[in-house]
Amino acid sequence: MEIDPVTNGNADAIMTESAPTITPPTTTPVPSSRLSQLTESLKLEHQLLRVPFEHYKKTIRTNHRFFEKEVSSVVSGVGDLADSDWSRDDTVARLSSLVSRLQGLKRKLEEGSNVENLQAQRCRARIDHLESADVENLTEWNNTKLKRILDLVDIDIFREAKKVIDALKNREVASALTWCADNKTRLKKSKSKFEFQLRLQEFIELVRAESYNQAILYGRKHVAPWGATHMKELQHVVATLAFKSTTECTKYKGLFELRQWDVLVHQFKQEFCKLYGMTMEPLLNIYLQAGLSALKTPYGFEEGCTKEDPLSQESFRKLALPLPYSKQHHSKLVCYISKELMDTENPPQVLPNGYVYSTKALKEMAEKNEGKVTCPRTGLVCNYTDLVKAYIS
Amino acid sequence: MEVKTVKDAFDRVAKKQKLSCSKTQETVDRLSREIEKALNAIQEPTTDTDNPLLHKSLVSDLKKTVQEIAPSNQLEAAHKELNVALSKYPKVLEKTLNSDISKAYRNVEFDLHTVHQIIASFFYGQGLFDIGDCFISETGEPESSARESFMEMYLILKALKRRDLGPALNWAASNSDKLEQANSDLEMKLHSLHFLKIAQDKKSLDAVNYARKHIPIYSDRGLQKLMCSLLWNGNLDKSPYAGFLSPTLWTKAVKELTRQYCNLLGESPESPLSVTVAAGSQALPPLLKYMNLMVNKKQEWQTMEQLPIPVELSEEFQFHSVFVCPVTKEQSREDNPPMRLCCGHVLCKQSINRMSKNGSKSFKCPYCPSDIDASQCRQLYF
Ligand SMILES: [Zn+2]
Repeated sequence: MEIDPVTNGNADAIMTESAPTITPPTTTPVPSSRLSQLTESLKLEHQLLRVPFEHYKKTIRTNHRFFEKEVSSVVSGVGDLADSDWSRDDTVARLSSLVSRLQGLKRKLEEGSNVENLQAQRCRARIDHLESADVENLTEWNNTKLKRILDLVDIDIFREAKKVIDALKNREVASALTWCADNKTRLKKSKSKFEFQLRLQEFIELVRAESYNQAILYGRKHVAPWGATHMKELQHVVATLAFKSTTECTKYKGLFELRQWDVLVHQFKQEFCKLYGMTMEPLLNIYLQAGLSALKTPYGFEEGCTKEDPLSQESFRKLALPLPYSKQHHSKLVCYISKELMDTENPPQVLPNGYVYSTKALKEMAEKNEGKVTCPRTGLVCNYTDLVKAYIS
Repeated sequence: MEVKTVKDAFDRVAKKQKLSCSKTQETVDRLSREIEKALNAIQEPTTDTDNPLLHKSLVSDLKKTVQEIAPSNQLEAAHKELNVALSKYPKVLEKTLNSDISKAYRNVEFDLHTVHQIIASFFYGQGLFDIGDCFISETGEPESSARESFMEMYLILKALKRRDLGPALNWAASNSDKLEQANSDLEMKLHSLHFLKIAQDKKSLDAVNYARKHIPIYSDRGLQKLMCSLLWNGNLDKSPYAGFLSPTLWTKAVKELTRQYCNLLGESPESPLSVTVAAGSQALPPLLKYMNLMVNKKQEWQTMEQLPIPVELSEEFQFHSVFVCPVTKEQSREDNPPMRLCCGHVLCKQSINRMSKNGSKSFKCPYCPSDIDASQCRQLYF
């Protein structure tokens, strides 16, 4: 009796009857197109890296501002002490309080740097996650990616946004204004006029309530400073003082519409996404759209379309309906039987009835059936020798 | 690879952040040391009577020292370098990565209900029943039918992963005909695993009986090997059959069962959502490149019926045969099917009609010297 040498590597071969005696582990070289494809798709991950970084940056800035303020107030405390005429006991008391203030500051410093380090680790972990993607583990990596697209990994940032949006929907601008103040320098840098629009809305609300005096006071304080850059809009809105909220004058009617609040919500979302380097549309929708378009073929909508094609599913068809079809420049033939690509390695062969299958699949079928092949779609039986080749360029 | 550029840039930021932190700490420490020193000196009991104004001079010394340390400047200097790194990093990100992937987005609202259903089935298909249930209740969607069908599969798989073959064998036995039709040897694989399990419990005789009963003769070679392995039972790891101990046998069985189960269910073993999003990852880069070049085409983008550029997806996304006529470069359609010339070359019907003046004359194949009679051309079905 023969004993096949068996190694760990091909344990599975034993389980199948027609197993070859030994199959050396073959490592086919990764085609370069796959690698460049992977590199290209990693470039889509801007948001994944940007969002935690903006968070990190914000923490650093806030911490820095706080420590700067504290330290300079201690310094001026020392200065004041030296410049005034305190008794010895008072001096001791004041110096002690400065010392304990610094003690507290040291604790805060430690906490602050811990938070910063944690956020840095988070940013770094995401970079490592990108780096870990390679052609070998792509399926798994893509799965993780999908889960993070569905998961909203940066959930706490969205919470911050939701608070402001909810308030705006209740027609309150306070939390939106706080948000503007928190991000003042950056909004200014990007020439955002979101705060101006919030101010205008508050002004309009005062006019709506017919509190004209208050409106004027408010306007002087909060709206006028924007005059230098947004005079035209300012004039348009301030002119509402002459109208009632029920005005039919088309030029001003729109300003009183409650729809303006939705506009503010939309604008907030836009500003918010810009600040964190995020896209407005949900990531899932962006990927779904691109994927559906690239997969959309007339065949996907046909009866009996293969289940592997997502477009065989009713729900995916529905989403794909308004999207463009894919475009192909080259023929790509997939064997109906084996689902393998028909190329020069595995060329297409034509049955007498014009149906085309891959050489591999037909050969295998012929070997099992004494040289006969059966067309799986029409039932036609013929000899393997009756097949002719087709050249597809 | 670009990731390295990003990583280096980030490491610079992190380094400067740590540096700035320790600089701040150092400054605060020093400041507090000086103040404490002055405080101690003032509190020194011996100095009490000698000079009643000593505390004043000590405080003004302290002021001088503090001015020399210039803590605020120290902090600022440390932060300045950090600031440079902080503003540089987003630029590196924008340069190496696509900063706005929504550029290739067509402004159509997806039906939310449909998207929710797709997401819920994804979770169920992955065996994440808790998350799926949670998602369904949060979005207020009706319960998905996918849940029940996937539940059975996951119970079988869960048992199989615990190396409990019972449920899997039961399922395979009751679907034996269908598995055979699908050309699957899953049942045999499961029986073999069971055989090995019995054998590993050092019950060689039981194993033989089991094999006699369940492992059919047609799998002769498989049977031979299983039986031979009994000769080494107890020290299989040092035998030619050490492979039988490999855990990959089990993972392969799990994979095959998933495949067959989904197949019988009429579902794809790959989640359609995963497939679509993975295809999206491949399609977005070329689409974004196109959109960046064609800034003024945004309007057309919203209405075009076919993507403006070919998007090459890799093989696993090729579900259908596509024939593009090498002459007209157009995709074949029902009214313009691919035809095989007698030389074996394939063109679309339109091209043949044009070259043969609607069949009135023979023509030369554009790819070889053959003379072609249009009436001899045959339609192909891929
Ligand atoms: Zn030819």
